[in-house]
Amino acid sequence: MSELLTVAHLSKQFGTQPVLRDISFSLSPGEVLAVLGRSGCGKTTLLKILAGLEAPDAGTLLAQGQDLGPVPPNERQMVYLYQEPLLFPHLSVFENVAFGLRIRHVVKAEIDRQVHELLAELDLSAHARKAPDHLSGGQRQRVSFGRALIIRPRLLLLDEPFGNLDAQTRADMQQLFLRVSRQHQITSLFVTHDSREALTVGTRFGYLDQGQLTCFPSVTEFVQDARTAVRQELAFWESIQQTLPASASTS
Amino acid sequence: MRSYLLIVLLLLLFVLPFGLLGLLAVGEQWRFPAALPPAYSLEAWRSLLAADNDLLLGLGRSLLPAGTVAALATAGGFGLARAITRSRHPARWEAASYLPYALPPVLLAVLIQPFIIRLHLSGSVGGVLVGLLLVALPFATLLLRSFWSGHITEYEQLARTLGCTPRQAWRRVLLPLAWPLLRTTLVQTFLLSWFDFGLTNVLSVGKVRTLTVQVFTYVGEANAQLAAVAALLLVVPPAVLLLLNKSTLLRKP
Repeated sequence: MSELLTVAHLSKQFGTQPVLRDISFSLSPGEVLAVLGRSGCGKTTLLKILAGLEAPDAGTLLAQGQDLGPVPPNERQMVYLYQEPLLFPHLSVFENVAFGLRIRHVVKAEIDRQVHELLAELDLSAHARKAPDHLSGGQRQRVSFGRALIIRPRLLLLDEPFGNLDAQTRADMQQLFLRVSRQHQITSLFVTHDSREALTVGTRFGYLDQGQLTCFPSVTEFVQDARTAVRQELAFWESIQQTLPASASTS
Repeated sequence: MRSYLLIVLLLLLFVLPFGLLGLLAVGEQWRFPAALPPAYSLEAWRSLLAADNDLLLGLGRSLLPAGTVAALATAGGFGLARAITRSRHPARWEAASYLPYALPPVLLAVLIQPFIIRLHLSGSVGGVLVGLLLVALPFATLLLRSFWSGHITEYEQLARTLGCTPRQAWRRVLLPLAWPLLRTTLVQTFLLSWFDFGLTNVLSVGKVRTLTVQVFTYVGEANAQLAAVAALLLVVPPAVLLLLNKSTLLRKP
């Protein structure tokens, strides 16, 4: 399979502080690279460099063989999604989703068709005319997804997109992300500090620490690496289960 | 009941001066201790219709600099506030923006007058514009600084990755987001210029007779009727602006 994105020897420092050190990885179409990393590990800088919002000090970025260095963010087809949904408050839900098509001057009838279709898929049809501040956190995040998906990006860059949601909504959004990314064959780089979330959404796994990225060949190696702390979490839940009475554990 | 009384009292305090101005504008031969004018005349108002009426010309001479200053200061302040936010030492630039307020406007006018004379702008609307901009531009910059938060940068960057060119990001995202604050800044800078007397009077060396300058002149001449008419004309544009900007001023935080 040809690589959709190839990153080679990427480095970046702010002042004297190195933020990314010699990062190399590749992504094939349809893959979701879940990158686990704590605050300050350099994950936001990595995503911003891929999106074209920051310039690297060294290294190359190739998208299907094309050098991304001189390509501005608006021509990269790589949407950066923040932790906050950042819906445009002056636009309705419909117009937020339609935003990417409007700036591309797509004809009105086509915009109407595509937006209504996507809103239905994201279970947002009933909210089309609402203002963003009349939506719940999960609904806003779904609108944010819709706004990104409608332009059919070649790569989605997600910077802890569900970090501000409560546990239940977060689990729902992870399932929605899985369903939608499989259905639309979306390639993504999903950054999170939650190992469970990484295991839920990823098809490949990485660990970013102090600007150095480790990509794991399989989920087993990701789980077994002590730095990811997945085994510690598993051990914790097993110990909880052992302390529960037998009836509670079986039920 | 107490709040009702307070509202009535505040309304009276607000309305009474305008009632008095109205009486002064139509009253004739009104002398102390008479409670009301002995005769009424619309002569001063009728004279406004004359083509060469000085008050109407004054209204035009006030609207032009105030409108121009409001537009230039708001547009310039928006760009400057962004530049300050992105600069290496934003706090220093912000502190520098306060400098024009360290001096009373009249003193500022006296200090810049030599430069205005050398630019051959003394006694002209252009000179007054430059002087007013020196006060209004930093004011607008400080007012608009709050807009350029990290959150706005994220909106802009998101718009870029969604496919916006820098110009589209400005037109479709940044300007609509800033519009309520821009409207407030337009009104504030307009009022700043509209009501200015000292700086305008010094820089124009009495040649640019704005409405505010005329009010002071008529008061100095003890021409109560024309002073009242001019004062009433003076409050019309700000009242209209405040009415148009009502939704922004009264919006819930």
